[in-house]
Amino acid sequence: MNSGQEKIASELPLVAVVDDDESVRESLPDLLREFGFATHSFSSAEEFLTSDSLVQTGCLILDVAMPGMTGFDLQRELKLRGHSIPIIFISAQKDEVSRRRAFQQGAVEFLFKPFSDTALLQALNTALRVR
Amino acid sequence: MEVQLEHPVDEIKRLQRCINDLVSLLALPAMWSGSKPCDIVHTLLDSLLRMLDLDFVYVSLTNPVAAAPSETVKVAQSQEQLFRPRELCTFLNRWLGNDLQKRYLQERSHIGDEEVSLVSWPLGVQREIGVIVAGSRRADFPRDTEALLLNIAANQALTGLQEARLLSEQKHVADELDQTVAQRTAELAAANEVLRKEVAERRRAEEALVVSGHNLRLIVDSIPGLVALLTPAGEVELVNPQLVEYCGRTLEELRLWGTNDTLHAEDLPRVIELYSQSITTGNPHNFETRLRRFDGEYRWFHVRGVPVRDANGRILCWCSLLTDIDERKRTEDALKRSEAFLVEGQRLSRVGSFSWRVETGQITWSEELYRIFEFDRDVRVTLELIGSRVHPDDIPLLNDMIARAQGTGSDFEYEHRLLMPNHSVRYLHMVGHARRDRLGRLVYVGAVQDVTQRQFSEEALAKARSELAHVARVASLATLTASIAHEVNQPLSGIVTNASTCLRMLTLDPPNVDGARETARRTIRDGNRASDVITRLRALFSKKDSIAERLDLNDATREVIALSLSDLHRNRVILRCELADSPPFVTGDRVQLQQVILNLIRNGSDAMNTVHDRPRELLVRTERDESDRALLIVKDAGIGFDPQSMDKLFQAFYTTKSDGMGIGLSVSRSIIEQHDGRLWATLNDGPGATVSFSIPCATNT
Repeated sequence: MNSGQEKIASELPLVAVVDDDESVRESLPDLLREFGFATHSFSSAEEFLTSDSLVQTGCLILDVAMPGMTGFDLQRELKLRGHSIPIIFISAQKDEVSRRRAFQQGAVEFLFKPFSDTALLQALNTALRVR
Repeated sequence: MEVQLEHPVDEIKRLQRCINDLVSLLALPAMWSGSKPCDIVHTLLDSLLRMLDLDFVYVSLTNPVAAAPSETVKVAQSQEQLFRPRELCTFLNRWLGNDLQKRYLQERSHIGDEEVSLVSWPLGVQREIGVIVAGSRRADFPRDTEALLLNIAANQALTGLQEARLLSEQKHVADELDQTVAQRTAELAAANEVLRKEVAERRRAEEALVVSGHNLRLIVDSIPGLVALLTPAGEVELVNPQLVEYCGRTLEELRLWGTNDTLHAEDLPRVIELYSQSITTGNPHNFETRLRRFDGEYRWFHVRGVPVRDANGRILCWCSLLTDIDERKRTEDALKRSEAFLVEGQRLSRVGSFSWRVETGQITWSEELYRIFEFDRDVRVTLELIGSRVHPDDIPLLNDMIARAQGTGSDFEYEHRLLMPNHSVRYLHMVGHARRDRLGRLVYVGAVQDVTQRQFSEEALAKARSELAHVARVASLATLTASIAHEVNQPLSGIVTNASTCLRMLTLDPPNVDGARETARRTIRDGNRASDVITRLRALFSKKDSIAERLDLNDATREVIALSLSDLHRNRVILRCELADSPPFVTGDRVQLQQVILNLIRNGSDAMNTVHDRPRELLVRTERDESDRALLIVKDAGIGFDPQSMDKLFQAFYTTKSDGMGIGLSVSRSIIEQHDGRLWATLNDGPGATVSFSIPCATNT
């Protein structure tokens, strides 16, 4: 949209958003761009897996509850495929069990919707630093 | 004495004659030997009259014995006219007088007209035998030879008479003796006779005894018992063959029963104790003990010992009878065991049995049935008594059953309730089978089972089902709200994100107004989405699915209470029910209202879960208030709530229960509000809280 976008895409870390909810796919990328990230959105885990930008993805913002392949399924799948992409889970359900599970499986962060932008930025910095 | 000399030849003849007479006289005693005194006297007098020239001769006997005459006189033949005997006796008696000293008398006297010479000699020194008198008219009487002869005669007579007297005395004595002997003999004979009779009787008795003894022996030997005779001190004296045979022991060995193995070792101390007591006190003894058989096996015997006493009550011996009760004892034990099993079985299965004689009304119960009805074992069971326990609502059923049983005499099967003194209810299942006894009288024999547990289980099942439905509803509500939450959180998240983006865009230099506008637009859209979700939530509780009807709040409450009772009892909650006298009618959804009541009752019970120091009282009360609204109040004695968090109570998702979903009160309030009512909670003066709702009463149609 503005200066952020003028930067060479390949120089900016690529953050992928996988969520079946439209409003999330609408609002989150803009915020990410404001943060200074490049971003791609996908409406399902399958879509992400078959995308070209999978390899370049620096961080994944992943919804837990999705029809078809769930967030955890994707996490597992990526591990199986040998992709060590840091994952930040987001969930509309206040589900402590899932949260713990996510961390056990190696997630960087688990945020409950609605989450603040600063919480998200923190999580992203952590994720990309690890990398 | 004058000596007169006569012619010598005559004198010699006279002297010779005298000597002859003397010799005869001397021979007299020999003749007299064994004669009676009267004979002696007679022969004496006859001899003297013959020998001597006498007119009469007289003897008087002193104390004549044995029919001897006291006086005897013989007159010479030629002088019979002159001297009458009687006169002579009288005269001579008088003449003799009583002078006993005189040895010899001689006198001339007059007897009548005659002059007579009398000579008397005493017989015995003091005339103890008697006296002899000889008399003659001759003047020269007695001449010397006559005197001599008479003297000798007197002596001889004395001797003879003495002898005779002696003899007769002897004879008398002998006679007496004989008599005595005869008497004695007679007596002895009589006594002997008596004795002989006695002996004969005794012998008969003995024989009879022998026979009876024989019979007794037969009896004793044939009775199916072992018999022992013991001394008063308790020593074994005799045993019957059965005892010997059974034990296979000798009498000697049996005597040592107190120390050997004749009695079972376990029974011995007790038996010795009882036996010693009995012997000491003299009271009969009765005990049971095991007796060793010849083959070593022990069998149970009953021992009965009685003392045999004489006429004075002294114990002569002890008679002990041992009866084999082994079979009976084993049967008894088996019976006792089977009886115990039966009782136990009845207790475990909560089944009691009964018999009922319809005509007489006599009823017999097994132990378990007393327990089921909670009556004492010794109470007499009557139909009235049974009726006092039967639940009031089931009395008609009982009466119907009785009437039918008495009327038709057919089998029956009933289920009815008992109302116990502590107000708990028991459910009974009763079966009765009709029989006729020997006399054709109707008897019912049957069983009663306490099926309260089953009933409770069924109720619990029903309740569980309704609970399940309830939970299912709530669960679906939960998932619904979960999905609602999910759906609400999505737009919310979008709103937050967009807003954040909007702010960042606006803080840029220069601000990204277009971007901001876009984000703002999305924000509004998401907000609307969230609002729609809420609307949908409200729609869930809309009246669309509920059925409105006129119902009695008391009835509805009672039903809920009935379902909750087992739960409440399990949680030891004491339910007090105070339902309004006049039923409060309302219009509404019965099921939903009951869900509210159930929820309130459950909450009240749960609030008291940790209460241990006071009764867990739960009051459920209905009433009609002044503004014509039906009121339902549930008051508990639980832990209450924090007054500050009063509002939170009714918030959706608020719960203080670890496993609660916090739906109850909020939903309840919703329902009540749908019914144009209100639901509120207050803290009690004492412990616990009160939750109440009020809804308008139904209008009278």
